[in-house]
Amino acid sequence: MTKECIIRVENMTKAFGKTIVLQGIHTEICKGDIVAIIGPSGCGKSTFIRTLNLLEQPTEGAIYVDGENIMDKKTDINRIRQKIGMVFQHFNLFPNLTILENIILAPVKTKTMTQADAEKKARELLARVGLEDKADAYPDTLSGGQKQRIAIVRALAMNPEVLLFDEPTSALDPEMVGEVLSLIQELAEDGMTMVIVTHEMGFAKEVANRVMFFDERIIKEEGTPEQIFEAPQSERLKSFLACIK
Amino acid sequence: MKRYLIWIMTVLLLCLTSCGKEVGPSDISGVEELAGKKIGVQIGTTGDIYASDYEKDGSGTVVERYNKGNDAISSLKNGKIDCVIIDEEPAKQYIKRNSDLSILEEEFKLEDYAICVSKEQSKLTEAINGALNELIADGTLQTIIDHYITDGEVEGKAYTSPAGLDYANGELVMATNAAFPPYEYYSNNEIVGIDAEMARAVADKLNMRLVIEDMDFDSIITAVQGGKADIGAAGMTVTEDRLKNIDFTVSYTTAKQVIVVRNGNSGAITSIRDSFYQNFVEDDRYMYLVEGLGNTIVISLVAVLIGIVIGFLVAIVRATHDKTGSMKLLNAICHVYLTVIRGTPTMIQLLIIYYVVFASANISKIAVAALAFGINSGAYVAEIIRGGIMSLDQGQFEGARSLGLTHAQTMRYVILPQTFKNTLPSLANEFIVLIKETAISGYIGLQDLTMAGNIIRSNTYQAFFPLIAVAIVYLAMVMLFSAGVRKLEKNLKKNERQVYD
Repeated sequence: MTKECIIRVENMTKAFGKTIVLQGIHTEICKGDIVAIIGPSGCGKSTFIRTLNLLEQPTEGAIYVDGENIMDKKTDINRIRQKIGMVFQHFNLFPNLTILENIILAPVKTKTMTQADAEKKARELLARVGLEDKADAYPDTLSGGQKQRIAIVRALAMNPEVLLFDEPTSALDPEMVGEVLSLIQELAEDGMTMVIVTHEMGFAKEVANRVMFFDERIIKEEGTPEQIFEAPQSERLKSFLACIK
Repeated sequence: MKRYLIWIMTVLLLCLTSCGKEVGPSDISGVEELAGKKIGVQIGTTGDIYASDYEKDGSGTVVERYNKGNDAISSLKNGKIDCVIIDEEPAKQYIKRNSDLSILEEEFKLEDYAICVSKEQSKLTEAINGALNELIADGTLQTIIDHYITDGEVEGKAYTSPAGLDYANGELVMATNAAFPPYEYYSNNEIVGIDAEMARAVADKLNMRLVIEDMDFDSIITAVQGGKADIGAAGMTVTEDRLKNIDFTVSYTTAKQVIVVRNGNSGAITSIRDSFYQNFVEDDRYMYLVEGLGNTIVISLVAVLIGIVIGFLVAIVRATHDKTGSMKLLNAICHVYLTVIRGTPTMIQLLIIYYVVFASANISKIAVAALAFGINSGAYVAEIIRGGIMSLDQGQFEGARSLGLTHAQTMRYVILPQTFKNTLPSLANEFIVLIKETAISGYIGLQDLTMAGNIIRSNTYQAFFPLIAVAIVYLAMVMLFSAGVRKLEKNLKKNERQVYD
């Protein structure tokens, strides 16, 4: 049985000026995939995940989402982004809006849902992450872990086909990492398609079904968590894993 | 308590600055002694033209040019200049109220007064000539002149319009400088005087309704040329230079240019109480301030609104260009706008908008001023807002765009609300500057708060109370505005903390 492909990346290159960060990347993200992306800092893993919803414009190549080339000027990128949720390292909640307003802003303004439906859905999601009492609070009054859980809820409110996580726990105090990771794990168990850039190797091992090791501008090595963590092939991956142990 | 202290200190300081020193008499007894002296004139008058000849002869003569005759007189009293060359009749009015000043026996020049009309309006010139000749023939003009040139107090008016006029020929707009008694001056909130009544009599003959516009003397010819006014009547003498730009009617009266000097007497000392009465209560003069304040408030409010709208639009275009590279043409236009507005004086912009852009349009001065100050302020607001947008965390844009919001939605719901809050102190600062900048509205003859103070000064020949009153009103306005902004700022902050636990 072949899995349904959501995102396909073909021969994608990204350069900042003369510095080439990614070169000739080929890969697919399929429905139900939970892809963990690991690699040394500066290897381009964050840049890669940000090209998937065109926050970074690739220099060459093509990216297909549900069969549409999103680099085509005629493609409505806003419509594509509605299908791809993203969670950032620094949460990026809107401090001028309450938690509830943060969550329903996009569903209502993109006319994906009515105000009433969006609010109902937002409250359900807030209840699910145990923050329903924060609906009318402002982001500045929350802890980092709470903010990141709200950011995840905000992305989920659009009913995305895939969720991108760009180092979701890197900016958190250690005692707050757990609450965010367990929420991501719950989503994984529900079958959510996810791409996660992370430094939490234990988490990657446990949750992901595919692990990509980015290094030297390419996907240096890819495989199941067992293949990557138990039987690394390349010297680079071996020394990387040795370093972080 | 601290506040009261500040107030008391301010008032004391102002009182101190008003203390003058004793000045001796002028060292001038005739025309031949003018060389080498400091001569005061009203800018653009024939006195100015004649005095300028002395300035060029190498004798060290200095000509001080004032916007109003009574400013020149005030400077003479204070010893800043040695004499004032001015028309005889206004001079008589000045010395009547100032016992420390005299007119020299020897006259400076004899000259003819006439009405100026645009060169393109030769039919109007002819019609006015006809009317003037009739008024001279039937003695009406002499009656008006005799009414105002008198040793006693002037009461009421000399001329009443005949009944049954329907003004079928429209309006006749007269430009004047109403600080020139007895030819034109304010009395009971109305411009009266020989020129005003003479012009009304002429307008009635032409079956037109007379409208009088007060402005600086040196703006009158520009206004008539540009069509802002149909005629200019302001004790204006026919000169070669003026004839190059404008036509004159026949002369309606002759006048002398005389020299006013200090005679060594001490000026009448008015008690603070009397002075207050003269400046504010007599003839309901406080009404000038009330009206002026009203105009200043309207201009400031509308200008602030225009400034905010233009500022936000320009800032959005510029920030969008900076972030995405789109809107190249619009960005270029905005760039030109910012360069021109920030690179030229506000006063010049105001004059250009009034005398050039709206030269022939019949548009209210308040609207012109509000527009000019709004356009000016917009440039500064735009850069403040753009700075605010650019200083926001890039993550705010990315967070919103990643959810599928368009650039416009991102701006409207996420970026601009935060920018507004962050830039509020700078914006408030800009608007305080704007409120005070409206003080130059007088340059297009608009009676704003500053102009109101000047009108009172031109009536009472006293500087202290009118100027201090105007200063205090501006101060109060700015303090009120600042308090409002502080409250708004507090509210915006409170919003974010209301559920803090």
